[in-house]
Amino acid sequence: MAKSITASSASPVSWWLLAITMAIVAGVSQSAFTQIVICAAALVAILIFREEAPWSRSVKFYLFLAGFVVVARVLFRIVFNIQNPEDPIALDLPGFSINLGFGPPVEIFGAVGVQALIGGATDGLRLAAIILSIGMASSLANPRTLLRSTPSALYEIASAISVAINLAPQMISSLQRVRKARSLRGRSKGLGSMAGTVIPVLEDAIDSSLSLAASMDSRGFGRRGNLSKALIVGARLSSLLAVGFLSVGSFALLVGQTQTMGWLLIAVGIVASFATIRINSKSQIRTRFEPVKFQLFDAVLSALSAVLLVGAFMGWFS
Amino acid sequence: MISLQDVSFGYAGTERPALSRVNLEFLPGEFSLVCGATGSGKSTLLRILNGLAPHFTGGSLSGSLILNGKDVTGSKPHELAAQVGFVNQQPESSFVSDTVKQELVYGMEQLGFSREQMASSLERVAGLLEIEELLDRPLSWLSGGQQQRVAIASALAAGQKILLLDEPTSALDPEAAAEIVTVLKSLAHTHGITVILVEHRIERVIELVDSVVIVANDGLVTKGGYEQFENYHLVPPVIGISTELSWDLVTVSVSDAKTRWDQNPQSWKPLVNEHLHETVAMEINDLSVTYQELEAVSNVSFQVHAGEVVALMGKNGSGKSSVLWAIQGGGKRTTGSVKTQFGDPKSMSADERLCVLTLVPQKAADLLFLNSLADELSESDKFAQLTDSGTSKIFESLTGRLDPKIHPRDLSAGQQLALVLALQLVKGAGILLLDEPTRGLDYASKKSLAKQIRALRKEGKSVLVASHDVEFVALVADRVLELERGKLVSDKLATVALGVGSSNPTQISQITGEPGLLTLSQIEQALK
Repeated sequence: MAKSITASSASPVSWWLLAITMAIVAGVSQSAFTQIVICAAALVAILIFREEAPWSRSVKFYLFLAGFVVVARVLFRIVFNIQNPEDPIALDLPGFSINLGFGPPVEIFGAVGVQALIGGATDGLRLAAIILSIGMASSLANPRTLLRSTPSALYEIASAISVAINLAPQMISSLQRVRKARSLRGRSKGLGSMAGTVIPVLEDAIDSSLSLAASMDSRGFGRRGNLSKALIVGARLSSLLAVGFLSVGSFALLVGQTQTMGWLLIAVGIVASFATIRINSKSQIRTRFEPVKFQLFDAVLSALSAVLLVGAFMGWFS
Repeated sequence: MISLQDVSFGYAGTERPALSRVNLEFLPGEFSLVCGATGSGKSTLLRILNGLAPHFTGGSLSGSLILNGKDVTGSKPHELAAQVGFVNQQPESSFVSDTVKQELVYGMEQLGFSREQMASSLERVAGLLEIEELLDRPLSWLSGGQQQRVAIASALAAGQKILLLDEPTSALDPEAAAEIVTVLKSLAHTHGITVILVEHRIERVIELVDSVVIVANDGLVTKGGYEQFENYHLVPPVIGISTELSWDLVTVSVSDAKTRWDQNPQSWKPLVNEHLHETVAMEINDLSVTYQELEAVSNVSFQVHAGEVVALMGKNGSGKSSVLWAIQGGGKRTTGSVKTQFGDPKSMSADERLCVLTLVPQKAADLLFLNSLADELSESDKFAQLTDSGTSKIFESLTGRLDPKIHPRDLSAGQQLALVLALQLVKGAGILLLDEPTRGLDYASKKSLAKQIRALRKEGKSVLVASHDVEFVALVADRVLELERGKLVSDKLATVALGVGSSNPTQISQITGEPGLLTLSQIEQALK
């Protein structure tokens, strides 16, 4: 029997790449249809490719968050309603006017227009699509493989992220343990129960990430070759520049007003990133026993990401 | 060779130094045991040897650390990683990869080994720790003992000649622990690796080590042989008996002690439970717990009487915790019923249960959440609608008076346990369920917990305690139940279950060969 395709058939990098491009598409698109398709795609991907692993248990959390965001957005539109006379009325609620004692009175409820509701839902769905895309990557991609497959120069950043990603499933399992234990004390209500759950869970989370970090360090993680002080400072500066230019550049492009400026900033950002990687790679002595292989499924995911990215910039999804 | 010269260490905000003016030297191939009370500086001492203290723990260090003749004071852990390997208490929390092979090569990858070097090193350490068959397995599939072997192998993979271990057997059952200790001995004596081990359960290792380091509470550290135990109170019965009976030499092995005892046997008092009532406090019928396809507990039935302490023993994974949670009602129960005076706890609300029975989980501190001892105690009084500070009374009867301003997390593990017991008993529960209460406790704290449990028994309470700590069970239990893969395989009096010729004899019953004599305190009482 042929081996079925699961999350680990592709490298975590491919999953994260796809998730980020899906999030970008959701961010630039104004159509509710696109958002729904992205939400659905992320969910379907999770359901088909999910494996039984600690990091895949956070799905429920992302689903809850996404649902919450959509509901909250729509409720907001209904409560803090701004009436537009041209908009056909969908929901005719009695209006209130609350005088706060300063400024103009605040209008709540009243007749809610169809467009207002659709607008609220689209806004909510956009955020939900972004949340579910990230949820897809974090529940399908193995954080430890991600750590191994990052280029040496980005290793420090990647390991910080990996420790952080490892934290989520760890916190969920301590949360379950602590809630079970807390039920033994019988007090179910009140503020105390909140603190009583959060404190031990945080304690666990901090303990476990410290112990992981200590174990990594004890085994040689963070070792560098010889690098002068000036070069180290230079590398840090150029990495900051790279991140800054890349983000401002992408923002300018996405906002769509200053195209040339945007491309220019991105170009500088890319040069700075290469400089950072060049300097940092000099100091790395790390080797690899089994390099992570690029598989066919990776090619499929990457191609899909490329199409989405091009589409987002060409305005296919707006 | 590794040594400390005039090393002192203190944590910020504490007056007492964790370690003061320590001079120690460890030779190649030496197997050394570091012991001390919970909260003494023994883990700190271990961490200084590879730079984790002060780099990861905070605190200030003076003096010097010498490694192979070179002063390496102030080095970071990764700078010493090629020479010193470190193994943590819980291997699963320190794993950085998914499969055994990846885990073993991780350290070598960091240190820049070539692929050929890694391959040959991998073969060498896998052979050394006998984990060749496990190389392609995911780490999460391994048993606790196997995980610990992998952790040791990865600490030695880069050819480290010094191995530091912080309570590597604390989560293991006696059988798995004995295997790990034998491996450590062969690493030291056959392969010339300096093995430095911090361990609470001295009896698990004492016969195999070359030297003993004792860290006292005032931070003073001494190193020597067994003679050091002569005036030391935190010792297992096998050592305790030699000091109690003032034998000329400290005995560390059961066979030596047996020879010595046979020359001059002493009188002793039989164990009696004068408080045992005929009343059945709790009746468990046909209890089963199934998780997905795994049958964790199958058809377990037994009774617990009022004023009786029953121990639930069995290997890790034999279903002890599942039984306790199923009885309490908060955990999963597939079939079966529990009968108490007030009905089945499963059908009660959490508050109602506290009037009938209470469970203290493995990590007792999970139940504490306020910022001071006084707050915890008064919150508990309010909850139980007491006006006479009843919780503090129970707490004080268990552990004595303590500064009410102290933060619950700064209490010792034993004191935290006593506090949780007080909070949980305040509503008058007559049945107490304890899940592995002795994990991480030193001998003194275990003794005081045993005293607390006996005091509760005297009041007529019933106690069901899950544990694989034979010596502790001997101190408290009237009856011993044994679970094997979820099934109840035996139900015997403690004197039989832990006595001569049983599968779990205590050290004292092995030494003396007297049926009915289980603990050192029985001999102490006769001497008085």
